[in-house]
Amino acid sequence: MLGMGLHAHGQELYVFSEPASNMAAKSIGIRINNEGVFNGNAMNRTIPEVMISFNKKLMVHGQAFLSDMDGNYRLEGGSLYAKFRFLSIDETQKHLRAAFFGRLSTSKRPVYTEDINLEGDNSGAQGGLIVTQLLHKLALSGTLSYVKSFEVESHQVNGMPRPDQMINYSLSSGYLVLPVVYKSYNQPNFNVYFEMLGKTNPANGNSYLDCAPAFQVILNSRTRIDLGYRFQVAGDITGRYNKNMYLLRAEFNFFNVLK
Amino acid sequence: MKTIRHFILLSILFISGNTFAQQISKAEVQVNGLTCSMCSKATETSLKSLGFIESITADLNRNVFILTFKPDQQVSIDQIRDKVQDAGFSIGDLSATINFSNTVIDAGGLAQSGGMIFQFINAKSKTLNGLVTAQVMDKDFITNSAFKKKVAELKSDSYLSGKGIVDGKETRIIHLSI
Repeated sequence: MLGMGLHAHGQELYVFSEPASNMAAKSIGIRINNEGVFNGNAMNRTIPEVMISFNKKLMVHGQAFLSDMDGNYRLEGGSLYAKFRFLSIDETQKHLRAAFFGRLSTSKRPVYTEDINLEGDNSGAQGGLIVTQLLHKLALSGTLSYVKSFEVESHQVNGMPRPDQMINYSLSSGYLVLPVVYKSYNQPNFNVYFEMLGKTNPANGNSYLDCAPAFQVILNSRTRIDLGYRFQVAGDITGRYNKNMYLLRAEFNFFNVLK
Repeated sequence: MKTIRHFILLSILFISGNTFAQQISKAEVQVNGLTCSMCSKATETSLKSLGFIESITADLNRNVFILTFKPDQQVSIDQIRDKVQDAGFSIGDLSATINFSNTVIDAGGLAQSGGMIFQFINAKSKTLNGLVTAQVMDKDFITNSAFKKKVAELKSDSYLSGKGIVDGKETRIIHLSI
């Protein structure tokens, strides 16, 4: 793994988080995400997602959540995400990008843990900051955000912990492994990512930290396939979401299609 | 009849020297900030939407786009800059190949040609003829740190703003280095 790093170029199409950079202006992206856990009975969630970039600074995502976490496959909720890039400094061998982001989500799911997941499990809002720095061949990105859950009392399972607030933080890095020398746009690109994803409940300090490696293939410079797996390496929150979870994604991009 | 018309047109163009026929025939654009596998494609798609571009060849290893232009259309390097920035990136270097025909650079380094005003930062009091490759030195055509250095060195209002008063009107002035 370390050997690969010596020949790699930084890549910022992270799998478990968003970079501070935006999609190209006037472009549309469509994603199908599937995530799941294997714990006796395999459960999974499917998330269709549309991404629209209005200009070089602002992009919006819309998602729908469908899963069989509570029985048969059903629509659980949706989410709106917006990212605004406010800083972009480019030099020849490095660049710095920073963006604010916000999210609003709804979910029908019952709640039984202090953990909050605004992509399927909880209703709530999130606001945060992403900073992505390219230094020579390494593209490092950090995210910090505050999450507040808004749950109706009827969703709360009696006697179980309640969700309220969370501080989310992550550190991501990505590398281009192939091709070593580019010949054309049609060559498949193969990237690997290492991400650390953490959460802390500010009310009591309960936390967990996940490590999330991922592989990625880019085809024809427009299509992206991701496969990642996140697993807990430190801390724990009883009943937490997304534990030992795989994520599979197919993304299709249409550049310069909006007027 | 057609040949006579063409001959008259050609003579006018040849004599006036203030032709709309494009003299920028080629540009090599080095793009900074490309850190994802799809970034070059997005940049190329953005550039392709410009009507005056004939062809785009991308060197994906050096992040350089070689642009050729349609001979009968006005080239706007500012629009090229905007399209690169719309894709989310920035220009590190733009070197243009310009075909000059007896264009005079005055004692202050200023020249007019093809409907554009050029300010040469390293040439004056000479005549340019034929193909000349020049690097555009304006803001957002070089890195921010390089621009700041040049601003301090040149101490010129027109360089800082990219505009100046020519023939009583505020006009875009393109700063070149040859």
